[in-house]
Amino acid sequence: MDIQDPSFWRSGAISTTLVMLVVLAFLTIDSLQVISVGGANVPKYDVINQQIGYAYNWSRRADVPVIGGPQPLFGKTVTEAEAAGLMRTGKLVIQSRACMDCHTIFGNGAYYGPDLTKSWLDPAWQQIWMPMTGKTTREDAMVEFLMHPDKYPTWTRAMPNLHLTEDEARATVAYLKWISAVDTNGFPANFGQAGTSP
Amino acid sequence: MTPQALLETAVLMGLFVLAGGGYGGLYAAGRLRARSGLIRAGGVCWAAAFAIAIAIAALTPLDFGWKLLILASAVVYAIIPPVAWRYLERMHSGEQATE
Amino acid sequence: MYRSQKLSLRYYAAAITLFGVMILFGLLSALYYLFPSMLFNVFNFNMSKIMHIDTLVIWLLMGFLGAVYWYLPKELGREVVGMWLAELMFWVFCAAVAVVAVVFLFVQYGGANEFSMWFINQGRKYVEAPRWASIGIVIVMLVFAYNVIATCIKAQRMTGILWVLVLDLIPLLVVYLDAFPVVTNMSVDLYWWWWLVHMWVESTWEVLIGCVMALVLMDVMGTSRRIVEAWLYIEVMLVLGAGILGLGHHYFWIGTPQYWLSIGGFFSALEPLPLLGMVVHSIYDAGMHRMKTANQPAFFWITAEAFGNFIGAGVWGFMMTLPQINLFSHGTQWTVSHGHFAFYGAYVCGVIAVLYVAKQHVSGAATLTGRAWKWSFGLLNFGMIGMVMALLLAGMAQAFYGRAIGGSTLMAFTAASENLWFTSGMWARMLFGVVFAAGYVVLVYDLLTSPKRVPVLQAQPEPA
Repeated sequence: MDIQDPSFWRSGAISTTLVMLVVLAFLTIDSLQVISVGGANVPKYDVINQQIGYAYNWSRRADVPVIGGPQPLFGKTVTEAEAAGLMRTGKLVIQSRACMDCHTIFGNGAYYGPDLTKSWLDPAWQQIWMPMTGKTTREDAMVEFLMHPDKYPTWTRAMPNLHLTEDEARATVAYLKWISAVDTNGFPANFGQAGTSP
Repeated sequence: MTPQALLETAVLMGLFVLAGGGYGGLYAAGRLRARSGLIRAGGVCWAAAFAIAIAIAALTPLDFGWKLLILASAVVYAIIPPVAWRYLERMHSGEQATE
Repeated sequence: MYRSQKLSLRYYAAAITLFGVMILFGLLSALYYLFPSMLFNVFNFNMSKIMHIDTLVIWLLMGFLGAVYWYLPKELGREVVGMWLAELMFWVFCAAVAVVAVVFLFVQYGGANEFSMWFINQGRKYVEAPRWASIGIVIVMLVFAYNVIATCIKAQRMTGILWVLVLDLIPLLVVYLDAFPVVTNMSVDLYWWWWLVHMWVESTWEVLIGCVMALVLMDVMGTSRRIVEAWLYIEVMLVLGAGILGLGHHYFWIGTPQYWLSIGGFFSALEPLPLLGMVVHSIYDAGMHRMKTANQPAFFWITAEAFGNFIGAGVWGFMMTLPQINLFSHGTQWTVSHGHFAFYGAYVCGVIAVLYVAKQHVSGAATLTGRAWKWSFGLLNFGMIGMVMALLLAGMAQAFYGRAIGGSTLMAFTAASENLWFTSGMWARMLFGVVFAAGYVVLVYDLLTSPKRVPVLQAQPEPA
């Protein structure tokens, strides 16, 4: 074994890489099960028919989504297939409008706008936008805002109008509601509980 | 983790690596110019890194495993520069011998 | 000069142009933070950001391609096979980039349908380019791989560096295939997206620039092949050994299982160790070769790469990599700070070094002298350090006020963004961004002006 010989290090490089790739392959198989729709961490799309919360879990030492009783989106219970259709459109809205080049989801994206992981649960809908838009439900206020964000600015960094159709806006709201039910290991922490750090 | 602890921990961790880097840089520069003063200054940097690691272990709310990892890497920091230097010298002297 | 080296110069010209475009849109993006109503509903922040980060990827990629086309014939002692195809691809590449830029500038976005994905904007960070253009990139990279492999076969020679390069092209291409699908499930989408982004930036590109640096070290510093190859293998071992599972630090919060917190934290906490070794190595090289090198600018940029990598990836990365901290720092300007520093240290410095290697060969100067390169070196480094310090302060303010205290809601985000630490950080970033841009201007000036010849033969004593 001569450590001055490049071939010694070549063997090291090849074996290290292979070992790591094999480990990654196994972890990927397991992770994909956990994050597939209906897996341990990612709920089925029709979770949008239910109430979604977010609370601290002492055994996990993290905030986790809490799925509650029925709370149909836009007052209408959807089938799993209908929910999947909404999600497909919602995701296409998020991509076609390049939402994540201003916002983040799960903290990934750009950092100009707020994180949308828990936007469904944001108190601002009730406190600011429902009165502002004159809508009586959170989801209706969200649709109105998404279609005409430039009409309802809350601060200097306003959201531009990206010309969402009503169907697109409703699908986006459905998507954001579903996203808020994904178990993200506690990200973001202390959501909506200003100053109460555990 | 409290907001205060968050920033303190992050800054300590940054300083820890920075001090480790200072050690590596000064040690190598000292060996290069054969100046023991620089090598000693490098040693001071490593001592600082180790002290910061202890501070992280004692004062921050990081989990036990992470504290252990940081203390262990402080020890590994101590050996990387001399080992790397000796390896480079052997490599290059072997080269000159074969030329 | 080989024909492929002429192509390389074209790639360098395109790269340095796009470097400028990147800086321009970086400055514009920074300006939105200061004047948010600027260009509102006309050209919004997201489009400026896309231009900034996509040109970043493209100019570095073009720099790498240029470097390989430069060294490949030297390495194998023969012209690159399939040059006409390679030359055609250069123009295809440039045309595709230009068309995509025009679409991004003037069309910007489309409806929620497949047409938008194919022809306008795919809207996934870094891979926003519409599908047709992504196919173009795949074709360009395939032709590039063909050039490299066919030349090796024709030359009936294979060096260790070329083996690493060829093997590296496989994952480079494979992970890029993730640039096409629309995955509805965001967790799965981001899972594969990180394979693409992380495996490019923190694995395959690292190996690619490692190959390029190995060739530069032999060329500029006269280091022997044996040493350079051993060094390259060690680097590959460390980069992939820590980097492949270092992927885990992107899997903390996207819905993936809890074990990634430990795996990702552990492997990224190891990252400073090899970087420390590289710092020692670069000082060793500096001491051994300083007197010999005729290309001081390239030499300084190579050294800057080792230090930039250590501080940008090592120090900045370590600060925010453990899950308990990352929970609050993730997705703030803190991340932006780390991203800028790490990209700059790992890649930008290296590509600038190869530009200077080409300059010396093209101008035929025995040594590169002058003051301009020192100014650009100073301004670019000073500008970058200033920017990342400013972004770090802004990011820490966000993590502190917006996340840890405020609880991450819209109002918390707003309040943190109006905090004095944050706004001052944004102004400082802008200021240092201008310094960086000035460094770029001097760099271009220096690369384009022919060096003062100090030929030994014509040296005459000064008249008394």
